[in-house]
Amino acid sequence: MERAQLAGRLAGIVGAEHVRTAEGELEVYARDATPLFRHRPDVVVFPGSAAEVAAVLKLATEQSVPVVPRGAGSNLAAATVPLHGGIVLVLTRLAQILEVSGPELLARVQPGVSTKALADAAAAHDLLYVPDPGSQVVSTVGGNVATCAGGLRGLKYGVTRNYVLGLEVALPTGELIRTGGRLWKDVAGYDLTRLLTGSEGTLGVITEVTVALVPKPAATRTGVAYFADLATAGRAVDAVIGAGITPATCEFLDRTCVAAVEDYAHLGLDTEAGALLLFGDDGAPDVVAASLARIGQVCTEHGATGVTLAEDVAASEELLAARRCSLPALSRLGSLTILEDATVPRPMLAEMADRIADIAARHRLTIGTFGHAGDGNLHPTCVLDAHDTEAVERSHAAFGEIFGAAIELGGTITGEHGVGAAKLPYLRRRLGDDQLALLRRIKAAFDPAGILNPGKLGS
Amino acid sequence: MADIFDDELLSRCMSCGFCLPSCPTYRLTGEEASSPRGRITLMRALQDDRLDVTDPTVLAQSEFCLGCRACEPVCPAGVQYGQLLEQWRDTEWRGRRRPLLARVLMAMMSWFGMVGITLLGLLRGAAVTRRGTPDAPHLMLGCVERVLYPRVSRSARRVVPALRAPAVQGCCGALHAHNGESERGRAMARRLGRRLPGTIVTTSGGCSAHLTAELGTDRVVEFSAWIAAGNGPDPASLRQIRLGEDGKPLPPNASGGRLARFGLQDSCHLRNAVGVWREPRELLRRLGEYVEVPDAGGCCGAAGSYSVLRPADSRAVLAPKLAAIADLDLDYLVVVNPGCYRQLAGALRGSRTRVVHLAELLALSAGG
Repeated sequence: MERAQLAGRLAGIVGAEHVRTAEGELEVYARDATPLFRHRPDVVVFPGSAAEVAAVLKLATEQSVPVVPRGAGSNLAAATVPLHGGIVLVLTRLAQILEVSGPELLARVQPGVSTKALADAAAAHDLLYVPDPGSQVVSTVGGNVATCAGGLRGLKYGVTRNYVLGLEVALPTGELIRTGGRLWKDVAGYDLTRLLTGSEGTLGVITEVTVALVPKPAATRTGVAYFADLATAGRAVDAVIGAGITPATCEFLDRTCVAAVEDYAHLGLDTEAGALLLFGDDGAPDVVAASLARIGQVCTEHGATGVTLAEDVAASEELLAARRCSLPALSRLGSLTILEDATVPRPMLAEMADRIADIAARHRLTIGTFGHAGDGNLHPTCVLDAHDTEAVERSHAAFGEIFGAAIELGGTITGEHGVGAAKLPYLRRRLGDDQLALLRRIKAAFDPAGILNPGKLGS
Repeated sequence: MADIFDDELLSRCMSCGFCLPSCPTYRLTGEEASSPRGRITLMRALQDDRLDVTDPTVLAQSEFCLGCRACEPVCPAGVQYGQLLEQWRDTEWRGRRRPLLARVLMAMMSWFGMVGITLLGLLRGAAVTRRGTPDAPHLMLGCVERVLYPRVSRSARRVVPALRAPAVQGCCGALHAHNGESERGRAMARRLGRRLPGTIVTTSGGCSAHLTAELGTDRVVEFSAWIAAGNGPDPASLRQIRLGEDGKPLPPNASGGRLARFGLQDSCHLRNAVGVWREPRELLRRLGEYVEVPDAGGCCGAAGSYSVLRPADSRAVLAPKLAAIADLDLDYLVVVNPGCYRQLAGALRGSRTRVVHLAELLALSAGG
């Protein structure tokens, strides 16, 4: 189908003012937050309802046109780059918080609501929406569900998948289905809610999300411990958990990351230390105070060179906000920033940190590592000069080795960012041929014409 | 490769998108092209010849952007968007591609316009020829302020009589820099710096940002920051403003009445580029009951000449702010920039909330 003809048919569904075909409009939807991936779509549409989403998908299936759903485009795996052109389906018009129910401990939102807006709406009801990915100020709930976003509270509370109760989903063939719902217990049929969570827009388009909320903890506090290196910090985390404490937050940053974050946020962090561990807990105030004191003590017993506790809630918030901007702050060090998301079983954390340092040195690369120490999730981030193609090649080789090391230690190629186009080449190493084949059969069952996000999962 | 942008500045952006929620035009549309990240993608496409300056989206977005720079303080990567925007418009807005009204406005600001503005400043008492203490800081009178709000400069001089305010100052060039003539704008700032040697105090947030960028923070200081730092009357000794039953301010030291209730609208460039936002709040807390307006740091839509060039978009940006202000039931909405003054005074005409410049309140407190 010609572009103009396709745009005309789409205008018939969503209205002409919500269809874009100008070159400049296509250019801005050619990429997301992932470097090195860019491809222009043929048309961009902004549907205003679930019915419109379903109608667009039905048309796309009839005409075999690729469709790439997109929220804020803040993902880091090129999951929303339209590698095969076609339609970019932007869900930012569907941005209503439909309901926050205190008695039922849940909220119902449209997919274009930002994670922060949902968190704020929950907080206004003295409730907590737990998943808090680093990009929460911009990322959308729909995108979070589609990539099963993680965050800073993984160890104690889990990740997005643990909080999705139900979905409304437009299927590529044009039907609207509802999975799950307002129920904590529901085993009627396969757990499609979980299957769709993390499906990266390859099986269906999420048009409504019902999420579980928890009562807001009475107190939340954080503290900071400094170590000689990441590996020592990793061993201290093991000791903390071994001592029977499950911190709500347990993040670490190496020296490179601390310097970059301090440069932006000016919090007075010690930029001389080799590694920083940001820990926190929530709950009843006296329990939190005791927990933080105990974590600080265990850290000191296990090599911490200094421990400080945040004085108040505002200082805690500042520390967490600074941690969330580690990645963009790191990008100050070079014109190209490539980050990864390797994850290992937590006892392997120290070993993995050492291996990353070794790989970086061997490939002569600047790799800053930060991540979620509590759940073994590391973000080794390579900062380099975009024009240095030889260094870019070396970084690809280094990341190949980092993924290899993660798998060898019983881990995975991505903990929370997703596979997208960026990590698809490594997926076989993680899943094996049989499982990959099963993924393709599942994909075909949902999307017989193969229109949804081609070149990604299930391709 | 086109040579429009400084490559180093352009490569700072890693496209994380943290700027999106801070951008007033993205909040209006939800479209990538009208976000800071999207506009930087367009700039990159220009620089790499994937798009050219005649592309309609590129041209439209260069005009739609308010230039408020709210994206800068929230950017962890340190992208200097304001500079990129100036470089973009320098090339984009050449000849007929420059918005017609911008051409008219710049023509008005030419030599003849400046003569008129200088005379106006004299006639309406913004400027003084003899008063002021030798070696005291200079008060910059501003172009827009001399035309629309000469009482702001008069008030500033009432608060600090030592300030020198000669009539012949010229224009700082901020509007030129925002309208596709950044080199000329910088030259004008340097010329103003030569005409007003020593410290320059300005009551205009927009001018302060442009002048500071060119002359440095040791030469240029915005009025509220200057007063808060103790250069005028001791901030601790400021008298509170009380209102009578008719809502009019009572004379200083009068008892009775009620404390005036203030909100503040930040000046975007003062807040986002100069980093001054605590200071006016500090002063207002001393003058009466201070209430934080939701999104006070977000642009009111005035944005330099934007409200003149794009009145409909300007009103759309302002609309949610008006609703928030109405809810607060303020006596005074305080501004620190003449553009915001005009925008909000127009929108709040007939409302019980009066729009005033902080200098006017300080003068009121001092008994002027």
